[in-house]
Amino acid sequence: MNRREFVRLMGLASSASLLSSCGLERETEKLIPYLVPPDDGVVPGVSVHFNTTCTECPAGCGVSAKVMDRRAAKLEGIETHPVNEGALCIRGQASISTLYHPDRLRHPFIKDGQGDFQQTTWDNAYSIITDALKNASGDKTGSGVDPKPRKHVFLSGRTTGTFSEAVDSFCKETGVERLPEFEFYPYSAIREANRILFGRAQVPSYRIDEADLVLSIGADLFETFVNPVSFAAQFGRSKKRSSFGWIHLEPHVSLTGLQAKERHTIAPGGEIYLLSHLLREVSKVNVAGDRHIAGMAELLPDLLPRGFAEKTGLGVETLDALSRRLIRARRPLVIAGGVSTMQPSGLDVAVLTGLLQWATGMLGGTVRFEEAVDYDRVGSFRDVEQLEQRLESGDIGVLFLCRVDPFGTTAGGSGSHTLVKLKDNFEKATLRIGMGEFMTKTLEMCDVVLPLSHTLESWGDARPRGDILSVVQPAVEPIHDTRSDGDVLIQLTRAYQGAATALSYQEFLIGRLKVRHGSATIEKLLSEGFVKRRVEPLTVTLDRDALTHHLRRIIYDDSHVKPVLVVAPSIRFFDGRSRGLPLLSEIPDPLTTVSYGGWVSISEATAEELTVKDTDEVTVSVSGWKTALPVKIQKGLPRGVMMIQWASHDDTPFDFDRMSGEMMTIYEGAAIAKTGRSVAIPALSGSLTPEGRKVIPYLGEEDQHHHGESEGHPTFYPKHEHKDYRWGMVIDLDLCIGCSACAAACYIENNIPVVGAKLHLDGREMSWIRIEPVYAEEGDNVEFLPMLCQHCENAPCETVCPVYATYHNPEGLNAQVYNRCVGTRYCSNNCPYKVRRFNWFDFKRPDDKNATVNPEVSIRGKGVMEKCTFCIQRIRGARDTAKDEKRKIKDGEVIPACAQTCPTNAIHFGNLEDETTEVGRLAKSERAFQALGFLGTDPGVYYLRGVWKKVHG
Amino acid sequence: MKKYLGIPVGLAFFGFFVLAYLALASDWHRHKRAPDQPIDFSHKIHVGMVGLECLFCHETADKSTFAGIPTVEKCMSCHKNVATNRPEIQKLAAYWNAQTPMEWNRVHRIRVRNHVYFSHKRHVKANIDCAACHGEVEYMDKIRQISSLEMGWCVQCHRQKEAPTDCLTCHR
Repeated sequence: MNRREFVRLMGLASSASLLSSCGLERETEKLIPYLVPPDDGVVPGVSVHFNTTCTECPAGCGVSAKVMDRRAAKLEGIETHPVNEGALCIRGQASISTLYHPDRLRHPFIKDGQGDFQQTTWDNAYSIITDALKNASGDKTGSGVDPKPRKHVFLSGRTTGTFSEAVDSFCKETGVERLPEFEFYPYSAIREANRILFGRAQVPSYRIDEADLVLSIGADLFETFVNPVSFAAQFGRSKKRSSFGWIHLEPHVSLTGLQAKERHTIAPGGEIYLLSHLLREVSKVNVAGDRHIAGMAELLPDLLPRGFAEKTGLGVETLDALSRRLIRARRPLVIAGGVSTMQPSGLDVAVLTGLLQWATGMLGGTVRFEEAVDYDRVGSFRDVEQLEQRLESGDIGVLFLCRVDPFGTTAGGSGSHTLVKLKDNFEKATLRIGMGEFMTKTLEMCDVVLPLSHTLESWGDARPRGDILSVVQPAVEPIHDTRSDGDVLIQLTRAYQGAATALSYQEFLIGRLKVRHGSATIEKLLSEGFVKRRVEPLTVTLDRDALTHHLRRIIYDDSHVKPVLVVAPSIRFFDGRSRGLPLLSEIPDPLTTVSYGGWVSISEATAEELTVKDTDEVTVSVSGWKTALPVKIQKGLPRGVMMIQWASHDDTPFDFDRMSGEMMTIYEGAAIAKTGRSVAIPALSGSLTPEGRKVIPYLGEEDQHHHGESEGHPTFYPKHEHKDYRWGMVIDLDLCIGCSACAAACYIENNIPVVGAKLHLDGREMSWIRIEPVYAEEGDNVEFLPMLCQHCENAPCETVCPVYATYHNPEGLNAQVYNRCVGTRYCSNNCPYKVRRFNWFDFKRPDDKNATVNPEVSIRGKGVMEKCTFCIQRIRGARDTAKDEKRKIKDGEVIPACAQTCPTNAIHFGNLEDETTEVGRLAKSERAFQALGFLGTDPGVYYLRGVWKKVHG
Repeated sequence: MKKYLGIPVGLAFFGFFVLAYLALASDWHRHKRAPDQPIDFSHKIHVGMVGLECLFCHETADKSTFAGIPTVEKCMSCHKNVATNRPEIQKLAAYWNAQTPMEWNRVHRIRVRNHVYFSHKRHVKANIDCAACHGEVEYMDKIRQISSLEMGWCVQCHRQKEAPTDCLTCHR
C-alpha cells in the first residue's frame, strides 16, 4: 500500500466514523482528522463534483457525482452534456443506491461440490479460470475422456468505447470467442432494416429538436427507446416552437403517446398498412429526382382509402391528414420503434420506416447515421438461440457472462422459450464465470462469480453517439474487494500469460484515448466529462435491389386474433436490470400509480364484459404462458388490447421474432378469465379521475381563466409580509411528461425512506413529490400533475398545529420543524393536497453506516411529520454563496432537486416576490393556475395549464 | 405565632437545596464537557504563550461548516524540532511514526436529534469572535465546553446581533 492509498483509506475511515455516529446520542464521539492533508484539496464538509457517465442503461448520460467527505451523495446530469442536457431519468437518479447497497458482492466466490458459494481470493479465482481456459477439451474430470474440443465464449451486455477494445484484446490473447452482445432491447429490427436499405446495421440518432413534424409509431421515446432523457429534453425545447407538431400512433397506451399533440390508436399489426399508405402517397409526390420510389411503392399493397382505414383502425380522414401533413412538412421525422418493431411484422415496419425516412429526405437531417448510436456489437435473440444450441451440443467450454442477466426477468416461469432452454442447457458449459455487482439469477448458476466495481468506483468511457465521447471516472474508492470489468480482463490476460506486471485499466484507457485523441482532448474529457467531436456528413445510398427483394417477401398477414396482450416497456425497470433498485418499486408507475407488484391493464370495455373492477384478479394466458394478476382499468386502452409491463413482476411472457431477432411485445390470441378473487394492489392514487373536484380546474371544460382564484378569498388571518424573497415554483403541465425523475431525485436528495409494499397498502408512502395522473371524466385527456407541498400562503396545516411545529417562514416557505413536532397529524388531516408524510416508524436504511445519506439533510425519526421543503438545504447553500459575495440570491441560483433533474425543464423555481424573475413572470401568465385554488389556500406553487395537446372527445 | 414560623423556615431550608441544585445544574455543563484527550494538548501554550491564530490549526473554519482539526503532519511540522523531549510530544511523535491518525474526543457538540445545521464559516465570516462560543481558550490547559450550545443560548446571541431567528436558519 502506498502513501496515497493509505491516506485515502484513513480519510474514508474518519468520515465513516463521523457519519456512523450521526443520529445516535452517544456520550463520546470521536473526531479523527487526516494524518496528512489530502493531496486533492478536499475540505471536510464541502462537496466536490466528479464528471462521469451513467451506466444504468446504454443511453450514456453525462452525470456529475456529488461527493462529500468521500461519500457519493447524489448524481445530477451535466448541464452541457449533449445527450441528457443536465437531466437524469428516474433510473439514473436511483442508480446511486446500488453503490452502498448491502447486497453487493464483496468478494470473489466459487461454487463448491455441494453447489454452495464459498468466498475466495482473486488470485485463486483467476487460476481456476486460466486452468479451465488452457484445458481446451473442456474436460472437468481430467480423465481425458471428452474428445470434443470446446470453444470458450465471452458474452456481455452492450459494451462501448475502450472497454470493447479491452474485451477484444482479452479474447484474442486467451483464445476466447466473443459472442454478439446480449440486450433485451437490441433494436435489431431497426439495425437489420437499415442494413437491408443502406448497408448500415446501425441505430441512427433521431433529432426531434430539428424536426417540425414528428410522426412516431409505437416508439416509447420517454420510457426506454434508445435515449429517453435525450428525447425528452429535445421534446421540451421543441414544444416551444410554434411550428412543432407531433403525432403518435400506438396499439396500446403509453406515457409517450399521452404526450403527443395528437395520439391515434392503431390496430395491432396495422403499422405496415399505415406505412404502405404513406409511402404510396409520398411516391405520388416524389415522381422524379433521386428519391423517387415509384417502382417500389408498386410492390406495396394497393388498397382503397377505406381498405387502409380498415386495416389500420384509423379513419379515412386521419390517414389522409397524416399523409398530407407528412408531405407538407419541411423537416419531418418518422420514428418506428418499441412495440411496433417488436412484433411479428416488426422488421417490415422498420424497413418501410427506413424507406419513408429516405424518401422524405430525413437522412442527414432529422435522422443521422453520422451520429449513430453505438449498438454495433450487439446481437439479437437469434444469437442467443445459437448459443443455446451450441450449449446443448456440448460445444461450449468456458462461458464468461459479464453484466448480463438473461434469466432475471423471465425464464423462471412457464413456457419453453429460448431463455428457458438456455437456462436448462446452461449446465453443459464446462465452467461458467459470472461477472456482476449483485448475485442475480444468472450469477447464481455460475461456478465462479467475480464481483465488479460500481461505475462510481471505476474507470471507463462510453460512446453514446457517434459524435460524443464520455468518460467514466471514479468518484469514490472501491468499498469492497471488487474490481472494475476492465481491470478483471487485463488481470485475467496477464494471469493466462503468466506475466507478472499488470497494467491497470486506467493506464490502458488513458493510453488508448491519448493515442486516438491527443492529450488536450483527454484533459477536457476528464474535467468536463465528455467531448463532442465534429462528424463529417455521410452520404447514405439506398440499396434498391436488396430493398425490392425484401418488399416482395413481406407477408401481409391480416389474421390478427384478439384479444392482444401487449408487454409494454417499463419506464421504471428498463429491460429488467433496474428491478433490483428498491426506490424504483417505491415510486409508482405514472400511468396507474401502482407501486409494487404486477398488474394487467385492461380496457373499460373489457372490464365491463368480464364484470371486473380494479384489484379483481384475472388469469391471463398466451400460448405457453399463464399467470394470475390483479386488474387495473386503463382509460384510453382500445377494446381487445391488454397490457402488462415488462419486468414488473417475476414472470413475463417471452418469445422473439425469428426475422429480426427482436423480443416480442405483442402476443395475439390472449385469453383472460376472472378468478373471482381480489388482490390488494398498492395503487397510490385513490382515484385517477378528479371525481368532480377541480384539481385541475380546466380539465374537461371550456376555456376559462382560473388565474388568481385565491385572491379576494375571505380570511381571518393577516397577510404574510415577505421582505426579499417569496420562494415559489411554477410547473408547466405542457412540459411534464410524467417520467417521475423528479420523485427519484427528491428521494435521494432528501433522505426519504423507502417503506415497502405493506405500508403502501396502508397508505403510508413517504414521497415528497409524486406524479398524479389526472384523467378527465369525459374524453381521453390526461394531465400529469406533479404534486408536492404547495407552500400555501394561507396554509391549512399551519393553523391547526398545536405546537407551532409548522409555520410560515418570512420567505414564504411552509416550514416543518422536526424537533417541535409531536406527531398529532392534525396538519396532514387538514392538508387538501395530501402531501404531508408521517413517520410511523424509525425506518432502517438499507445501506450500512448510513452511507447514502445526504449529509446536508437531517434524517427524521419516528413520530414526526415531514414534507417537501423546497430543498431548503439548497436555498441555504445559495444564500451562503450570496453572502460570501455580499449580494442577494440571483434568479436561477437555487435549483431544487426535482427541477434540476427534469428532462423537459417543466419545473421552475425562484422568487415570486420579484416580477422580473422567471417564476415571477410565469406565475402572472394567462396559463397559470393554482391547484384547488378555489379553496383560498393561495399556494406558492403555480401550474401552467396544458394547451399544447390536441384533445379529442 | 410560633406555629407559623415553621413555614418560612421550612421554605428557606428546602429552598436552599433547590437553589443550590439549580445553581449547580445551570453551571454543570461547564464542567462536564471536558473529556480526556489522547494527548494533553494545551491551548494555553499554543494560543496564550506561542500566540498562534485559531485559523492556523483549525484551517477550514472560514471555508466549511467544520472548523477542522489539524492533521498529525501539521503538528509534526513544528514538533519535529520543537519541544521534542516532552512526554506529550513524544506521544505525538509516536502517532506520526506509526502513521496512525489521532482519535480526539469531541468536546463541542450540538445535539444531532435537534436537526441543527451549524456553519463555522458563516460565523467566522460575520466576524464573530471564536471566544464568543469557545471561551478564552488561551487560558485553558484542557479544553472544555463553556457555552451550553442549547437553542436558547444560540437565539439570545442571534437576537442581540440581529441575525436571523427563523427556525429554518438552523433547523432543516
